[in-house]
Amino acid sequence: MADIKVDVRGETCPVPLVETRKALRKASPGDTVEVVGTHPASKKEIPMALKALGLKLEDIQEEEDVWKIRIGV
Amino acid sequence: MIEKNVYLDNAAATRMDERVLEAMTPYFFETYPVATSDFGYSLGIEAREALEYARDEIAHYIGASGEEFIFTSGSTESSNLAVKGVALALGEKKGRHIIVSAIDDFPVIHSAGSRALEKQGFSVTYLDVDHEGLVNLDRLRDSITDKTILVSIQHANQEIGTIQDIETIGRICSKKGVLFHTDATHTFTRVPLDFKKVKVDLITVSPHTIHGPKGIGGLFIRKETPITKWMDGGFQEFNLRAGLENIPGASGFAKAVELVTPEENERIKVMRDHLIDRVSAEVPDTTLNGHRSKRTPQNANITFHFVEGESITLHLDIRGFSVSTGSACFSRSLEASHVILGVGGDHERAHGSIRFSFGRYNTMEEVDRVVDTIAEVVGELRKISPLAHNKEAQK
Repeated sequence: MADIKVDVRGETCPVPLVETRKALRKASPGDTVEVVGTHPASKKEIPMALKALGLKLEDIQEEEDVWKIRIGV
Repeated sequence: MIEKNVYLDNAAATRMDERVLEAMTPYFFETYPVATSDFGYSLGIEAREALEYARDEIAHYIGASGEEFIFTSGSTESSNLAVKGVALALGEKKGRHIIVSAIDDFPVIHSAGSRALEKQGFSVTYLDVDHEGLVNLDRLRDSITDKTILVSIQHANQEIGTIQDIETIGRICSKKGVLFHTDATHTFTRVPLDFKKVKVDLITVSPHTIHGPKGIGGLFIRKETPITKWMDGGFQEFNLRAGLENIPGASGFAKAVELVTPEENERIKVMRDHLIDRVSAEVPDTTLNGHRSKRTPQNANITFHFVEGESITLHLDIRGFSVSTGSACFSRSLEASHVILGVGGDHERAHGSIRFSFGRYNTMEEVDRVVDTIAEVVGELRKISPLAHNKEAQK
């Protein structure tokens, strides 16, 4: 099991989702993907994509305009 | 992640037909030598005969003779040879002026433009198109001078599918004594073209859009057309294209041409119209890009306003649908499409455009599924889109 980090701070749509998808394609079952970003729309768009993929959104946190999304693969 | 992908990007590349592979296979494992003359060994003569058979089949499809068709490595090379080959042949003798349409595909625009011929002193007129993608024929007439050596206007556009009136363009060019090249990558076998009737001197074609192989293409060159070879080496393809012949590819190309039928083209057109009609009726704030009726049967290009096309393609991909935001080149970058900008669209319209392109293996059930899915995806994306929020605020 690995903890994969994706840092997309400063990037705007659709880059955060592109990078998240890239990480998810490489991840194995049991891994965790953690995405850190700043673009507000991506914070909503990534959970929307996870729902379609049937993946578990483990946690969302936001502090001073930086959000963090944890995904269970 | 995805159970079965629904592929709707047939303008970029198609799934090869198994019958095409069957036609190619003997030339990998049995008749694999290079094509040789009658003085060579039998297997090489057989290879040459296969090449000439494929050439004749493709040429005869539009009423040309085998001597008027050469194989290349694909559309890009064909258009490069057409534009640069004519420039080499006539640049010194007649003039250094070329006319292209502003929304042509990159092989033509970049061959003529600042990366190639313009840099060598040629002048290029880029003809604007109207809001549906059609070239203004009066403007074309007025742009031709006694120094013009070539007009290159595509048969149909790679992104929006608009079909140009190449019959009239051919007549204009012929009357003015100027050569005419058309890129028919997206129309060959899908839209009728009669080489005996249309006064076109050079035509770029490729089988990768009709369930044939990649890595092979062709260029029709009408007899007596002045053109100079620019890739040096051997004397293949009537001494116009050096390099070992791709005989499996040529055989696959001919088979792909044989397999396209008018019934298939009609079936594809029905799917295209069904998608356009349903999206127009069910998804608000959309614009059909390109001409409503003068468009290739396989192309539907729609802008979904207030959302980014790249986001739509990603969310459709996640749900098992492959579509693109424009030409294959653009889908690898986030630059605005020169085609959508060319038909008068702004950056928002360009970035929100999605190209759906149909092929042999698509079904009406898939069309219904993609429309249902896109309605859902666009609805969800608009809820989080700053552009959509701005629109609501302006109301």
